[in-house]
Amino acid sequence: MSKGRKLVLSALLLALVQTGFLGWMIVGRAAVLRDGREVLLKVEPVDPRDLLRGDYVILNYEISRIPLTIISDIGEVGDRLDTAGKITVRLGRDEDGYWRARSAWIRNPPAGATGTDEIEIAGQIPPLNLAYIGEDVRVTYGIERFYLPEGEGRAIERDMRVRAFGVRVAVPASGNAQVKALMDGDQVLFQEPLY
Amino acid sequence: MARYVVQLRQDVERWVSSGLIDRSTAEKLVLDAERRDRKSFGPGAVLAMMAALLFGAGILIFIAANWEAFPRLARVAALFALIFGGYVGGAFARLRGHVAIGEALWIVAAAAFGASLALIGQMYHMSGDESAAILTWCAATALAALVLRSGPLTVAATGIADVWLAAALTGGLIASFRVDSPALFLPVAAVLFGISCWTRSQATRHLILLSLIAYATWHAVDGDTFEIAFMMAGVSACLFAVAHIMPAEVDNLVRINRRLPIHALIGFLVAMMLIQIDVEGDGGFPVAAAVTLAGIVAALVLQGRESRGLRWIAYLAFAIELCLIYAITMGTMMGTAGFFVFAAVLVGFLALLIIRLERRLGSDAPQAEGGKA
Repeated sequence: MSKGRKLVLSALLLALVQTGFLGWMIVGRAAVLRDGREVLLKVEPVDPRDLLRGDYVILNYEISRIPLTIISDIGEVGDRLDTAGKITVRLGRDEDGYWRARSAWIRNPPAGATGTDEIEIAGQIPPLNLAYIGEDVRVTYGIERFYLPEGEGRAIERDMRVRAFGVRVAVPASGNAQVKALMDGDQVLFQEPLY
Repeated sequence: MARYVVQLRQDVERWVSSGLIDRSTAEKLVLDAERRDRKSFGPGAVLAMMAALLFGAGILIFIAANWEAFPRLARVAALFALIFGGYVGGAFARLRGHVAIGEALWIVAAAAFGASLALIGQMYHMSGDESAAILTWCAATALAALVLRSGPLTVAATGIADVWLAAALTGGLIASFRVDSPALFLPVAAVLFGISCWTRSQATRHLILLSLIAYATWHAVDGDTFEIAFMMAGVSACLFAVAHIMPAEVDNLVRINRRLPIHALIGFLVAMMLIQIDVEGDGGFPVAAAVTLAGIVAALVLQGRESRGLRWIAYLAFAIELCLIYAITMGTMMGTAGFFVFAAVLVGFLALLIIRLERRLGSDAPQAEGGKA
């Protein structure tokens, strides 16, 4: 094969590999939206500060703070809680339709104990957590952002300070949740298409 | 390089008039130098690369604007088309002999990959994954550099790794930047260094060495300043010594055209600056200042003749050092005055010694030349 054809073929192969990888990411994410179990989470109003960072709104959930008392294996973990690590939070559905944290495990949760109105969601304890100063620990789930078209964030940011918003997320078996829709009470503000 | 050609023309003219070489050889020499010079820098190539970078930035900000007039799938398709068009079109351009345009198109394709990652993050409202996203972009660009054997793509991958390092060290230029450890930069830099040898990208290796200095500096500032800066100065001094004693062997390893002493000097100076600020106010400052000045003098004496870049860095450092000592003062103004005078006497003595040495060497040289003539 000539050197020239080899270069063009390499470039073509490279483009295929890169777009293939990106496509695989998209398909995986869409699968979570399609197949994941739907859960409604309450967004907490945040203190007046700039929630809008560039092109997205920061979301702070009720379940973003987990009380230390509901972490079942807190005794076994001890001092290592304040380092960055995984946490599994079991959510249960309440009367008002919102899902709230029932219990949590730093290590692996006991298998097969979830009820019909329960689900486990995977979270991360960010580094520099002041776990032992307060009574709860901060947890992130990778769903703390809602991207909006340029210029549409301000109004939502303003409303979010005065009344409760909700976010519908999809939770797959792996527990890595994904945002599905932004809700203002019962009204759907933004609904995400699969693709 | 352009300066070199100007200098060479003057030298060749002198050699012709003194009968060292004939006119036709002179013309051949100048022509060869000019041809090489044109290869090393062409305004067209640089502008093509700038255009590619501007276009890449345009794509990224366009995706960030989340413009709804374009359905998301159309945006994905457009980016994929850019990736294909950029890589394959670049390969064709190279084959037709348009090297600069080819490289520029590849940079556009690499930017389109980064924009695609950003778009997917936006489509699915992902958060907290910036670290992984930037590293993925870096890996994809490095892969492209490897496959296409492209120097500019190697530099681009290193630049992306540097952005990651900056974010990791400052703990969030970007909000909620979650990284295991900035030390991850070291293996990434090692891989990029390896790729740069394959793609023959000297610029990449310079960038990596400077990044390593920045990495060490940040660690010193963030942690135990004196201890880390002391180590940094020691390592830099050792590297300088090794590069001075075995220039060919060292350059076989790092391949930066024998410029390792410049990096070693920068590392040493930054470390000594940190140490001086750290010990300011106690008895250690005069010692640290003396070591810094000694380092600058040693670098100039040993390597000043080899490299203009090193000379200018040494001059700049000397000026800054002078101001620093003047501003901080050693205990009392009288003490500082004493230090300056003592240093002046030492450096002056050294100057005399070197001037005598040079004169002796200089008086040897014309004799040898005259003997031949």
